[in-house]
Amino acid sequence: MNGSLTFLSVAPEIALAAAVVLLLLVEVTFKPRAWAWAVVAGAGLAAGTALSAWQWVAHRGADTGTFWNGMIAVDGFAALAGLLVFPLAGLGLMSAWRLAASQGRRGAEFIALVLLAAAGAHLMAAAADFIMLFIGLEVFSLSLYVLAGFTRERVDADEASLKYFLLGAFASAVFLYGVALVFAATGSTTFYGDGGIADYLAGTVIFRPGVLLAGLALLLVGLAFKVSAAPFHVWAPDVYQGAPGGVTGFLAAAAKVAGFAALARVLTAVLGARADDWVPAVAVLAAASVVVGTLLAIVQDDVKRLLAYSSVAHAGFILTALVAGRGGVGDMWFYLATYAVQVLGAFTVAAAVSGDRAGRSPLAHWAGLGRRAPWLAAAMTLMLLAMAGIPLTAGFAGKVAVFRAAIDAGYLWLVIVAVLATVAGLFFYLRVIVAMYLASPEEGASLPASPAVGWGARFVLAVAAAATLVFGIAPWPLLEVLRDALPL
Amino acid sequence: MVELVLFIIFGLAALFGAVTTVWARNPVYSALGLMLTLFSVAVFYVSNGAQFVAAVQVIVYAGAVMTLFLFVIMLVGVDRAEDRRENLPVQRPLALGLLVLFGAGVLVAGRFAWVTGAEGGRGAEGTVEALGSELFRRWVLPFELTALLLIIAAAGTVALGLFRRGEAEGGDEGEAGEGEEAP
Repeated sequence: MNGSLTFLSVAPEIALAAAVVLLLLVEVTFKPRAWAWAVVAGAGLAAGTALSAWQWVAHRGADTGTFWNGMIAVDGFAALAGLLVFPLAGLGLMSAWRLAASQGRRGAEFIALVLLAAAGAHLMAAAADFIMLFIGLEVFSLSLYVLAGFTRERVDADEASLKYFLLGAFASAVFLYGVALVFAATGSTTFYGDGGIADYLAGTVIFRPGVLLAGLALLLVGLAFKVSAAPFHVWAPDVYQGAPGGVTGFLAAAAKVAGFAALARVLTAVLGARADDWVPAVAVLAAASVVVGTLLAIVQDDVKRLLAYSSVAHAGFILTALVAGRGGVGDMWFYLATYAVQVLGAFTVAAAVSGDRAGRSPLAHWAGLGRRAPWLAAAMTLMLLAMAGIPLTAGFAGKVAVFRAAIDAGYLWLVIVAVLATVAGLFFYLRVIVAMYLASPEEGASLPASPAVGWGARFVLAVAAAATLVFGIAPWPLLEVLRDALPL
Repeated sequence: MVELVLFIIFGLAALFGAVTTVWARNPVYSALGLMLTLFSVAVFYVSNGAQFVAAVQVIVYAGAVMTLFLFVIMLVGVDRAEDRRENLPVQRPLALGLLVLFGAGVLVAGRFAWVTGAEGGRGAEGTVEALGSELFRRWVLPFELTALLLIIAAAGTVALGLFRRGEAEGGDEGEAGEGEEAP
């Protein structure tokens, strides 16, 4: 075991944990103003990003190296997850800054929880052992449960938090059961190396794989819950609608990135030898998510519920890339990265329109937004068009990438279903755009005061819009780079 | 042979306890059922050579945690019957049907066979010494990272528990009325 690399392998987590502890200690001791929180959190996230960037430069495209007795993996996959999750947490904090600052002294805990969630998300992507993956999952999920109910002002926020917690704990238990069964079938919880699961499955023909398949199915259920793939999506609309508006974007974006990173590594790298067993299951999950998400999004009257069901559909599109196995992971990353930015941007606008602490965001709030706040409306339009998959946006490039991966893998029926859903999806995305530009506010309707946008939210929207356009017009460089981010 | 007999007896006891926990109307029975399950699982730990974990299970879970549960039950009130009306009457049959479907699917996928040929995990000696050596050598990173979970628990409890109405509005502590904690 290489001594210096051992600590560098978990350096992003160390940086974030140090930032969290420093933040909480400084908060208790000096009771500083809010800008001090921003400095500490920004330093922690910047350090995490820089260390991930170093890992990326040093290890991309190379074989996975494991450290701490096979607990943590250092490779392009884990590094890319860090490069995505830490800036995303930074953007999420900027988007939620007004919310955090309005919480009095509790704001420090809010920021600490966002940082811990980011650390947990990166752990999920970098874990090289199921025990490690489970701890990452818990660190990530528990932070999100608290964040979802943070404001404690409305009953539905408490309800969202409790629902998320109970269902999430249940999904974690299912995941853990799957780990136990896979351990029973393969005799190991470690992914790589001699005697690891990948090694065992590659070298052994299992004649009676019942326990292994049951374990695989339970793992799939546990992780599908985290990424809100149908039929394990029922928590998403209530949580996205109930949680305080400012933090919803981070909840949605981070859960997708962390869940899919874990899913991709577990399926393609660890259980790659059993691809014939899980690929059909993933294809069915993808089709179900795309159809259920799209159909239910059409009937929503609340923009946040609409975005929640659309996120179910997007989970389906991302799963579509995974039916191609390892070859689809690069396309999965592209879709995941661009979608995470889009959904963060969309919820940032929703928070500005309906309020940082508000839950509901009925379509009536959006009527005439194009005249009241043209820039906000333009940003939202861009995000929605990208999610719908209009050409020249990153959403289109992502959809083309994942569809091509699925066709190459021989899943034409899945692509046909997904394309039909994309066309149907245009309806509800355009419905919001029509409300913003063509509808006028109802007489006497109590609209929230004119949308207030903080500098943080402005920055988030600028970044999201720039990323969506740049990677929509020229996706090839990024797609090429992401080929190095495969779990090997 | 002895191990098999023990497994069957305590396996049934664990299942019975688990079912009681969920089905009993009286919460005290639920708690006692849970205790039965915890004890039965402790027996499994012993038969797998994990004596220390078994002892911890009995002392911490069956002892301390269950006492806490009983305290909470007593504080809430034992006589309060649980409302079991389902808002969605199809829910339970549907859940059972899906469970059967899941089992059948896995059976079909596994060609009606459960047992696999994996070697059993290598069992460590169940003593404190062996456990400590495993924990601080092979599993040191997961062990240390559970510290993050403790930080989340502390920060989350403080954040959710210290909420006072009014503070969120002004962003200043001065405005918060004393004793106005949220329910």
